[in-house]
Amino acid sequence: MAKIGVFVCHCGENIASMVDTAKLTATIADHPGVTVSSEYKYFCSDPGQETVKKAIRENGLTGVVVAACSPRMHEQTFRKACAEAGLNPYMLELANIREQCSWVHTDRDEATEKAIEITRSLVEKVKRNNDLKPISVPVTRRAMVIGGGVAGIQAAIDIASAGREVVLVEREPSIGGHMAQLSETFPTLDCSQCILTPRMVEALQHPNITMMTYSEVEEVDGYIGNFTVKVRRKARYVRMETCTGCGDCIQKCPVKKIPSDFECGLGNRTAIYTPFAQAVPNVPVIDRTRCTYFKNGKCKICQKTCQIDSIDFDQQDRIETVEVGAIVVATGFQVQNTAIYGEYGYGRYKDVVTGLHFERLASASGPTAGKILRPSDGKEPETVVFIQCAGSRDAAKGVKYCSKICCMYTAKHAMLYAHKVHHGNSQIFYMDIRAAGKGYDEFTRRAIEEDEAGYIRGRVSRVFEENGKLIVRGADTLLGRPVEVVADMVVLATAMVPQPDAKDFAKRIGIGYDEYGFFNEAHLKLRPVETATAGIYLCGACQSPKDIPDSVAQASAAAAKVLGLFSKEQLEREPVIASVTDATCAGCWGCVIACPYNAIDRKDITDRNGNVVKRVASVNPGLCQGCGTCVTFCRSNSIDLAGFTEKQIFAEVMAL
Amino acid sequence: MGIQEQYRKEAAELLSSGEVKLVIGYGEGSTAERRRPVFVRSAEYVSRLVLDGSCVANLSSYLVPEGLLSDGKKVAVFLKPDGIRSINILAAESQLDPEQVVILGFDIEGGQAAPLPGRKASDFTALIGSLKSAGLSPELQKDADRLEQMSASERFGYWKEQFSKCIKCYACRQVCPMCYCRRCIVDVNQPQWINTSSHTLGNFEWNIIRAFHLAGRCVSCGGCDRSCPVNIPLRLINHRMAKEALDTFGHYAGESAEQQPVLATFRQEDPETFIL
Ligand SMILES: Cc1cc2nc3c(=O)[nH]c(=O)nc-3n(C[C@H](O)[C@H](O)[C@H](O)COP(=O)(O)OP(=O)(O)OC[C@H]3O[C@@H](n4cnc5c(N)ncnc54)[C@H](O)[C@@H]3O)c2cc1C
Ligand code: SF4
Ligand code: SF4
Ligand code: SF4
Ligand code: SF4
Repeated sequence: MAKIGVFVCHCGENIASMVDTAKLTATIADHPGVTVSSEYKYFCSDPGQETVKKAIRENGLTGVVVAACSPRMHEQTFRKACAEAGLNPYMLELANIREQCSWVHTDRDEATEKAIEITRSLVEKVKRNNDLKPISVPVTRRAMVIGGGVAGIQAAIDIASAGREVVLVEREPSIGGHMAQLSETFPTLDCSQCILTPRMVEALQHPNITMMTYSEVEEVDGYIGNFTVKVRRKARYVRMETCTGCGDCIQKCPVKKIPSDFECGLGNRTAIYTPFAQAVPNVPVIDRTRCTYFKNGKCKICQKTCQIDSIDFDQQDRIETVEVGAIVVATGFQVQNTAIYGEYGYGRYKDVVTGLHFERLASASGPTAGKILRPSDGKEPETVVFIQCAGSRDAAKGVKYCSKICCMYTAKHAMLYAHKVHHGNSQIFYMDIRAAGKGYDEFTRRAIEEDEAGYIRGRVSRVFEENGKLIVRGADTLLGRPVEVVADMVVLATAMVPQPDAKDFAKRIGIGYDEYGFFNEAHLKLRPVETATAGIYLCGACQSPKDIPDSVAQASAAAAKVLGLFSKEQLEREPVIASVTDATCAGCWGCVIACPYNAIDRKDITDRNGNVVKRVASVNPGLCQGCGTCVTFCRSNSIDLAGFTEKQIFAEVMAL
Repeated sequence: MGIQEQYRKEAAELLSSGEVKLVIGYGEGSTAERRRPVFVRSAEYVSRLVLDGSCVANLSSYLVPEGLLSDGKKVAVFLKPDGIRSINILAAESQLDPEQVVILGFDIEGGQAAPLPGRKASDFTALIGSLKSAGLSPELQKDADRLEQMSASERFGYWKEQFSKCIKCYACRQVCPMCYCRRCIVDVNQPQWINTSSHTLGNFEWNIIRAFHLAGRCVSCGGCDRSCPVNIPLRLINHRMAKEALDTFGHYAGESAEQQPVLATFRQEDPETFIL
């Protein structure tokens, strides 16, 4: 006989204000099989849980329904309480009368009726629940970090320093990401290279870190604790093992006028190149689309120059397979292509540049050796106009969100300009100054008060060229009048947007993304570094626009999650897995194809003499994630899911 | 020599040479226009085979009963293009090995049977490709358009009336080559998802499940439609699903023996307009 205990939670006012909990408790008490029905202000609290445990022990309950919030919130809490009282934890069901009822309704009577139905249907389900035991699976205690920007580097170093192996995959020839391109960094104005390069070298030299640069993840298979990742090691045409990074080949390469991506096109590189002088690893690659030898079959000057014969034109891309237990995604961002703003003249006028260009101009290792010189004629600009939100917070043309860093880096740019060009005049068009962060508001105040940055509140309508000057027309909305600034250079604070391939990448590795292509966390507030896919974590600007302090903090948080996962050799998994009824399976293999986790194999059914009579589908419990895709696909209705059996679901539906 | 003579001769050769153990074809039926399947195991009986414009049934459904092909021997079968597509689906769903099926292919043009060259399902790939590009049946489309033009509630009313006639005889299931499950979902009674009695709800449940189970698999042979004793226009439901599969996913049932089921495959370029 079923003895079900129902515990109706008020969740403070969250539920009780919209649902008549007394009526719910009384109605359910009369439902067949219900032994205990009680209500309380907070069942998740310690005394609340004690009440549940006591009721289980005293009444010998065979099942428990807690009518409260979403199972995502407190299923674990109450499962634990049940287990402590000696009841199998899978004999618990949560009836969600908060998110799916009290929060979304405005009529108390109707909401109460609905709460009664929801609770009743879970009572019917729990009557058909079975004792389940968690499954143990081994954990491969090696992590992969994808993306070698500051976030990826930090995560890799943290995991490696705690004694676990890390494979760091970076698709560019060098790690470093955007931070390697920056000049000085807000809010402390320390030189970006000076603080980043030691970290890059530490990652390279760390005994627990295997670095795979110029490499891309092609495919991810498996599940938490047991991923198999295929990595494409792109041909460098330079032997990593022997190259000393002397750079003689780069000096001699005859193809010299290739615009450098790292320098945002403000400087050139050769066909054999390292993206920047401090590259890690300091091993060049040959850009085969530009190399004379690859184009015409003649040249090989680099090979002749190299004294240790490290150039290998016959190298091919290789696919390397890596087994890891956890994956940290740190693939970063890109700056939006500002050509969408025709009126700002980006792409048309050489002296209209983005913030990233300005970083290169201000960088001591940049194309101008740190002098602020305008691109068109190399002259020092006397007036610079900065336009904030050139893409951000603009639902019509750009993106809806705030890129979070542009207010800060624009203030930084104005400061650097003031420090380098003493008589210079900077004017900043802004919508708001958003400077929330440790030392951030002080920083923007300093730009205004000490470095005399002029802030004009308003939008720019047009930038055009006249007599070698850039005329910036806009409005000063505080004074309510039009303004015109005659400038030598215009810097656009471009939006931070996802990598161009972010959505494809997310599909490839199996994580979610938002409307823009930033990757989705499992819960914005409570699980910000986990994805909905167990074992895959996020950090840095691939999740949302971030500055360096936030990227690094999130990287360490992701590392902590990985190390938590690696703290045990075995991992307990939910026993919610599918199983096939051999007798009815028609062997169509639809489920084999449908299963997103490749968890279904073919199994031979043999007679006594070992002859194969038929072949049926068979679920590998180690791989099955309990998603239920196969159950819905199977036409012969031969698959059932433990914990969500058809009998349970049917009873649940019929009770409504 | 007429096509019937020609195919009888071929059948006789296949049987006497031992290449096939059985020929499945058409024979005389209870009226002059009716044909019923005949199973010829010896060359002396090939004269029972009939081939003319009345041979419309899709005989591929006779290949799937358990055990028929398990000895690895070949079977020859008279098939129109729709039947050949069925062979591809059955092969793709591993219900048979296409190497075991010798196709005696024909089509019906202007009320007459006309031969189709080829022996194996793969010989007909080009033909099936051209059928795909010709699109779904224009006559059916006309009837389907009439339904599409109705308002949702009118359309619901239409199907409610049609389905209310269903007597749950399952003739549509028995005739369909795609309905090869040993135990059909309607026969599951723990729990009983589909009501077995012939009332509106149960009839809706059955007919809609049938439509979904045939989505991307129905080859429009018309077997179900012809066999329905109460004349429910089942072809229109099948047509609607086939159109959806073709328009949304470029999927034409039975294009090849390697085709993957449309409802089980995910491709990166699949439209995801319904997911955020
Ligand atoms: C103009 C400008 C000025 C800035 N100034 C400051 C400042 O002063 N202070 C501050 O705190 N922040 C500043 N920032 C922000 C800072 O750049 C970011 O916070 C930081 O770079 C984010 O680091 P990340 O590792 O998440 O991403 P990224 O730096 O973008 O690194 C991502 C890395 O992943 C790699 N990658 C991408 N996709 C793949 C893939 N599929 N496989 C393998 N590898 C991949 C990329 O090649 C790259 O190396 C500035 C940003 C801009 C645009
Ligand atoms: S989908 Fe169903 S019938 Fe087909 S192989 Fe899988 S379990 Fe068997
Ligand atoms: S429930 Fe089915 S489809 Fe989902 S992972 Fe398990 S076996 Fe695969
Ligand atoms: S559903 Fe009807 S028309 Fe379609 S293949 Fe089956 S019997 Fe033929
Ligand atoms: S053949 Fe017609 S009456 Fe019989 S089950 Fe099918 S739809 Fe119903």
